[in-house]
Amino acid sequence: METILLFLSSFLVCVAAVDPSTQDAKEKVENPFIYDYESLRIGGLAFAVVLFTLGILLILSRRCRCSINQKPRAPGDEEKQEENLVVPKATVVAETAAEN
Amino acid sequence: MGDKDDRSPKKKKGATKDMDDLKKEVPITEHKMSVEEVCRKFQTDIVQGLTNAKAAEFLIRDGPNALTPPPTTPEWVKFCRQLFGGFSILLWTGAILCFLAYAIQAATEDDPAGDNLYLGIVLTAVVIITGCFSYFQEAKSSKIMESFKNMVPQQALVIREGEKVQINAEEVVAGDLIEVKGGDRIPADIRVVSAHGCKVDNSSLTGESEPQNRSPDCTHDNPLETRNIAFFSTNCVEGTARGLVICTGDRTVMGRIATLTSGLETGKTPIAKEIEHFIHIITGVAVFLGVTFFILAIILGYSWLEAVIFLIGIIVANVPEGLLATVTVCLTLTAKRMAKKNCLVKNLEAVETLGSTSTICSDKTGTLTQNRMTVAHMWFDNQIHEADTTEDQSGASFDKSSVTWLSLARVAGLCNRAQFKGGQDSLPILKRDVAGDASESALLKCIELSCGSVRVMRDKNKKVAEIPFNSTNKYQLSVHETEDPNDNRYLLVMKGAPERILDRCTTILLQGKEQPMDEELKEAFQNAYMELGGLGERVLGFCHVLLPEDQYPKGFAFDTDDVNFQTDNLCFVGLMSMIDPPRAAVPDAVGKCRSAGIKVIMVTGDHPITAKAIAKGVGIISEGNETVEDIAARLNIPVSQVNPRDAKACVIHGTDLKDLSQDQMDDILRNHTEIVFARTSPQQKLIIVEGCQRLGAIVAVTGDGVNDSPALKKADIGVAMGISGSDVSKQAADMILLDDNFASIVTGVEEGRLIFDNLKKSIAYTLTSNIPEITPFLLFIIVNIPLPLGTITILCIDLGTDMVPAISLAYEMAESDIMKRQPRNPTRDKLVNERLISIAYGQIGMIQALGGFFSYFVILAENGFLPSILVGIRLNWDNRSVNDLEDSYGQQWTYEQRKIVEFTCHTAFFVSIVVVQWADVIICKTRRNSVFQQGMKNKILIFGLFEETALAAFLSYCPGMDVALRMYPLKPTWWFCAFPYSFLIFVYDEVRKLLLRRNPGGWVEKETYY
Repeated sequence: METILLFLSSFLVCVAAVDPSTQDAKEKVENPFIYDYESLRIGGLAFAVVLFTLGILLILSRRCRCSINQKPRAPGDEEKQEENLVVPKATVVAETAAEN
Repeated sequence: MGDKDDRSPKKKKGATKDMDDLKKEVPITEHKMSVEEVCRKFQTDIVQGLTNAKAAEFLIRDGPNALTPPPTTPEWVKFCRQLFGGFSILLWTGAILCFLAYAIQAATEDDPAGDNLYLGIVLTAVVIITGCFSYFQEAKSSKIMESFKNMVPQQALVIREGEKVQINAEEVVAGDLIEVKGGDRIPADIRVVSAHGCKVDNSSLTGESEPQNRSPDCTHDNPLETRNIAFFSTNCVEGTARGLVICTGDRTVMGRIATLTSGLETGKTPIAKEIEHFIHIITGVAVFLGVTFFILAIILGYSWLEAVIFLIGIIVANVPEGLLATVTVCLTLTAKRMAKKNCLVKNLEAVETLGSTSTICSDKTGTLTQNRMTVAHMWFDNQIHEADTTEDQSGASFDKSSVTWLSLARVAGLCNRAQFKGGQDSLPILKRDVAGDASESALLKCIELSCGSVRVMRDKNKKVAEIPFNSTNKYQLSVHETEDPNDNRYLLVMKGAPERILDRCTTILLQGKEQPMDEELKEAFQNAYMELGGLGERVLGFCHVLLPEDQYPKGFAFDTDDVNFQTDNLCFVGLMSMIDPPRAAVPDAVGKCRSAGIKVIMVTGDHPITAKAIAKGVGIISEGNETVEDIAARLNIPVSQVNPRDAKACVIHGTDLKDLSQDQMDDILRNHTEIVFARTSPQQKLIIVEGCQRLGAIVAVTGDGVNDSPALKKADIGVAMGISGSDVSKQAADMILLDDNFASIVTGVEEGRLIFDNLKKSIAYTLTSNIPEITPFLLFIIVNIPLPLGTITILCIDLGTDMVPAISLAYEMAESDIMKRQPRNPTRDKLVNERLISIAYGQIGMIQALGGFFSYFVILAENGFLPSILVGIRLNWDNRSVNDLEDSYGQQWTYEQRKIVEFTCHTAFFVSIVVVQWADVIICKTRRNSVFQQGMKNKILIFGLFEETALAAFLSYCPGMDVALRMYPLKPTWWFCAFPYSFLIFVYDEVRKLLLRRNPGGWVEKETYY
């Protein structure tokens, strides 16, 4: 649930951040045929950056939180995997060598 | 032998005949010949061995004594297989069609649009990149495989021209006289001519856990059973033997199995078949759409060439560009997840196979059991005691306070030649290496565990004389000094076959007191012996006696050759029985497989009694289920009168299996749920697997020995053991359990089923956006509106925004307990079926297209082009020379201005698809449950939502995009055009799933549950 809340709230924040700038633009420029694309671009990019950062933060936050309420079944803990592959290999080699 | 050599030149023709030949039993006959005959056959001498000249001649004739390595596929072939296999073909076809379309355009138009060229290049790039990705992924696991190969060259001691020489095992030829001793690996198939207490470990070849005696006499017609043949690459455990080499290299029993294995052809993996089916569906839809609109275009008066371009365009637009990468990444993620749980998957596609598995044929020795003899039961004080057989000594213990037990432990410890190898004091007792016979080591470990150091015991009771075990005596005895230095008597201890021991006893030890052996006690002994034997255990009897001092004073010279001391009138102490116990995690795992609807069959080379006991122990034959023989015994009627249908379980002997017809075999596999095959040869294992496959089952085989490898190769998925498994079996398998834990199979099944479900979701998600991508082009052709969505934007969706959400669905958790479900039916439950297509294309996709067109019309209307004026405007709109096109309000637009509006529409359409795909990914999370039941715990998916939105915003707003990708910034309000449609999709699908859950089996389920 809290993830949905997080998602919604962050979304609202972003919309709120973008909206004033565009409203400002509308007030300043009376002519409906000319649109302030410059601030739109900046607002849009800021929106993209904020979303992207949020996404990254979400991924990184996994490691601290998953241990409490989620099964450890996702990519965050994939780093361990390398050693897992190496250890049995070594023992296997030793084992086969011992056999002979 | 000769005819085989003759056949090899025309191998191509006789390849199938060879395979059938290899499937038959071993043709060795030398065991029935006398030593002289064998010598004559190989022109050798029993004392002198071969002459060097002869040996060299034979070496040239037969080739080196080594197994021909299986033909390895060159790296570039593997790479090409990745590039052109399965799904890639679809993309290649798309790319070629694109280039074709571009060529046509280039030939006919002055200024061809580059779209088709770019699309072709991108498609090619996607296939190559994904191909490289999966190639390196598989190369990684094959590198681990390489490390399994052992490089130590084998040595063999041969006698040539009367001299013993140590040579490389590769140079051994048929006819060589060789010598092996305990610890050696047998360098070729040999006919034993003389042996001293020689025992070989045949477990990797026949599956017998116990070391087998070898002696010069022929004891059985079957070469695998007779005592006078020792096989290539088995181990000599103890004793020495001298023998004549009868087969070398690929002609050995082991070599035949290896050749059979590498010659077997394996079918496609289930997932590959599913992907093929999927490609058929997609191609069908694409061709149908393409041809329909081709005809329409012709009717509407387009030229032939234009219509062909449209045809190609529509077909290519149906290719889901991102799906190949998505599927590959999803499978890779699962493979990694499994590797973390110690299941190494050699072939990416095999990841899913365990999930579809409906039958598991498991080897016993080393897979279900620990492959080490362990003391399981004891009988003393007229009572059966249970010993702890668990690997970690967590099981129950028995009463160790009895005096009889101390005596029994003393006899077992003293009358025992096994000893721990040095330098292992830090290891737990069960892990230590022991030099000596398997059952003696079992006794040693058991005593060491319960009574402390055996070495101290042996030091206190110095050994004076010893008669080792031999098959005529069937006992082993030794004479020791007693612990008490003032007591000058000698202690005689003896162990051996229980009935022989009993014959020598007149008294029995009960609660530490010697009592005369009466009939009642003898019967108690018989009962205990029968009961332990019936458990498939190997039973040994123990007895001792304190030799009277007057007859055997201190310093008495015991002569072990013509036994000059008392070996009867002994005192019986007890029985100890040993078994190769099941691994701890196995019963649980078998139970889980059962509840997952998977039939577990045991296929072993071991004896039926042992096999049945273990099968009962691990739950392959569940409690209360009887075999035909059990029923017959219970009802006291002959076996023939029992209705085979009454027995759910059955134990089938390999020799019976040989006489079964195919129909009878099918009958057994179909009608019995719990089957044990005992005494099976490698060839029979293969036949069993083929039988299961004939009945439509997807078969997994687990095994560790060489004897399992043909079956491992033939199975839909072969699972080998990483630690105890032989090289050949690992080569043949598709999956390797790095920790040898059978329970990992359950993990494999679970992960396999999960990824199958999640792939469905991923595909449903990815396919949905195909409709809003194709419809703009269709309407562009039919009603002549300005193109609402361009090729570049389509690629941005397929390879950009859709990727992460599609992959994130691989992390989705199971909706229900997938391990309680029956395995899927490969003929009915497809990865992609018409219902999935109907949902994705026909329902959700259509709503998405509506959303996209809504934003398209909104933007054009805001710019002055009302929808009514758009229809039919295309020719003027796309005409460079028309620079005064009027909109609904009479404003005039130049070509360049019009194009900016058009590309803004493309961007808006693109953003709308992203918005409706939000809803799509959320509804694709589940197939039956509501999202509210499933929750939003999948963080990757939330990340995907953020990321696709951020990417869309970036593409739209980043300065320079108007030049690079022709994407223009959108007014914030335009983002919201598709929101109602997104909401509609969500509600629509939630309602559908609600109906589906409310009416199980109803119309909604039949028509829409994918």
